[in-house]
Amino acid sequence: MMPGSLRAACVAVLRRDLLLAWRRRGDIALPVLYALIVTTLFPFALGPNDDLLARVAGGVVLVTVLLAMLLAFDALFRPDLEDGSLEQLMLAPQPLALLLGMKILAHWVSTALPLIVIAPILASMLHLPAHANAVLVLALLVATPLLSLLGSVLVALTAGTRRSGMLLALMLLPLCVPVVIFAAGAVSAAQEGLPWIAPIAWLGAALALMLILAPLACAAALRIAIDA
Amino acid sequence: MTAENSPSALLAARDLTFLRQDEPVFGPLDFALRAGEVVLVEGDNGSGKTTLMRVVVGLLHADEGTLYLDGAPLDRDLARGRLLFLAHHLGLKADLSPLENLRIAIGLYGCREAITPQQALHTVGLQGYEHEPVRQLSAGQKKRSALARLLLVPADIWLLDEPFANLDREGIALVNRLIERHVAEGGAAMVTSHGAVTFLHGEPRRLRLSA
Amino acid sequence: MKWIPLWMHQLSSPPTFYRFASVLRPWCIALALILTAVGLYGGLVTAPADYQQGDAFRIIYIHVPSAEMSLFIYGVMAVAGFIAVVWRLKLAESVAMQSAPIGAAFTFITLVTGSIWGYPTWGTWWTWDARLTSELVLLFLYLGVIGLYHAFEDRRQGARAAAFLVLVGVINLPIVHYSVQWWHTLHQGTTVRLFGPSKMEADMLWPLLVMMLASKFYWAASLCGRVRTDLLSLESGKQWVRALAEREGR
Repeated sequence: MMPGSLRAACVAVLRRDLLLAWRRRGDIALPVLYALIVTTLFPFALGPNDDLLARVAGGVVLVTVLLAMLLAFDALFRPDLEDGSLEQLMLAPQPLALLLGMKILAHWVSTALPLIVIAPILASMLHLPAHANAVLVLALLVATPLLSLLGSVLVALTAGTRRSGMLLALMLLPLCVPVVIFAAGAVSAAQEGLPWIAPIAWLGAALALMLILAPLACAAALRIAIDA
Repeated sequence: MTAENSPSALLAARDLTFLRQDEPVFGPLDFALRAGEVVLVEGDNGSGKTTLMRVVVGLLHADEGTLYLDGAPLDRDLARGRLLFLAHHLGLKADLSPLENLRIAIGLYGCREAITPQQALHTVGLQGYEHEPVRQLSAGQKKRSALARLLLVPADIWLLDEPFANLDREGIALVNRLIERHVAEGGAAMVTSHGAVTFLHGEPRRLRLSA
Repeated sequence: MKWIPLWMHQLSSPPTFYRFASVLRPWCIALALILTAVGLYGGLVTAPADYQQGDAFRIIYIHVPSAEMSLFIYGVMAVAGFIAVVWRLKLAESVAMQSAPIGAAFTFITLVTGSIWGYPTWGTWWTWDARLTSELVLLFLYLGVIGLYHAFEDRRQGARAAAFLVLVGVINLPIVHYSVQWWHTLHQGTTVRLFGPSKMEADMLWPLLVMMLASKFYWAASLCGRVRTDLLSLESGKQWVRALAEREGR
């Protein structure tokens, strides 16, 4: 492994962020806990009617996961911005988009993946049928990286501002509407026994596109937001 | 200064200006940094020393003027590996050890031959602290673990923003030693310092910024 | 054709645009007022009542021009935003950012008039109709742009960041529109469709076109005023602003 090479740099960034996430593994548990609490509140609000809960289960879990991810987005760049390591990343000889892609991947692994693991449990608490539950996990596996990529662009744009949780939610909503529609569409189609592969395929196509575009946009956005 | 474009200048600037709200923070500024040379950037607080560093290194966008690398207009993509920036924010992860932090820097910027991160940490006087989380080090020790990057990373142009801050007498001597060795090997350094006292050895060329 | 870039370049300098906008603005206001009066007279008095919806349809003379403006202004912001991100032109930043509140206002009016119109037509103030939903998302997009612009300490940096968000939104808007339509067919919502303007009689149509023109002039006048003020405060340290202040102050 040649130091300073593209691969070494990617490995270094990925390793660093995963290591940091591991050192602060208490923070990983927070979004999971949040999702658990929100999902538990729904039966209290809607009543313990199993049929009703089963009908809304897919949508509730999707939106809950989305909100939990939104809470965690702030940690994508802010700590790095505050201690100066983001500058070191931006000044590195490798393409910034690629390094940011690694950061996004590490962030997805440490925030979204635990949520996907817990999602089927949350869904069965709301009586989502087993076969729809499998589709839900599949939908989340495609939709959450897409959300991470889209969100990273917006987080980069707000990087130079004061604390900005509400603003980020406002900016993210228009972007995640199509993702929520297709992911929830797949789950409810599976629930009604209809073919559900088409919306997942659309999400997959969007993900493939965003894997290329989002890191580039994220790098451009970051350069705008940091430049004073 | 006459030799902005002379081939011996590693880094040069002509009419470099940076504006904030249409007011110039510094400039128009001409300077040249030749191989084997140290330039000391002087100025009071708020005179734009850090801003100048950030413009040179490419974090900020100069409003006017041109930067030259080896006599040719500077291409950011080619220049990145040549420049090493030590900023006020040291770029250390508080949850990682000095050794882990250095490995990240090496991964991004590459490593000189015949030196290991352990040796570098030894040289800056952090033996025994290699595996402590950076958050548990003192301000001076944090600075030293950032300075270890200078030993490892093969960049030939150093941009050091207040490198003497937070350091004791021995640390100041260390920075001077590092700079002298780098310059003797044909590198160049730009160092900022506010106000009256500079700890830099010898007679560096001075670039004065006024507020 | 060499004079076009030259003319653009000169116009984009803040003092020149300031003078240009100052001359243009009263004309735009006058035209907007006259056209609105004519359009409203035509729409509310001379146009016949709709055979199905009665007088309720007359709200289209506000609703349709606002809906059209909400998209038109976003388009203008996208063009200005692109120029602002790529060439860092101060005037383009100003135009993109000062357009946003006007666009948000038109979007809001579209939503309000849409739901007022919806009550007699659908029997409810709000329905998740595909077009209304897209319009709501557009409102959030506008608010996000305005919010991001104001979140930065440095206004020009904020303008560039928000302009970037505008460009992201341009790609996103058609996707939102089609996914909302797909969502709508999936869930089999209301089937009542409002009549598009294409099927309208001439008596009904001309006031609508006049109102659409009026709203353009209103936007131009409002934008001239806003950009003028914005340029004054952005360039407050410059010689031309000082000279202007001295002249006006007397």
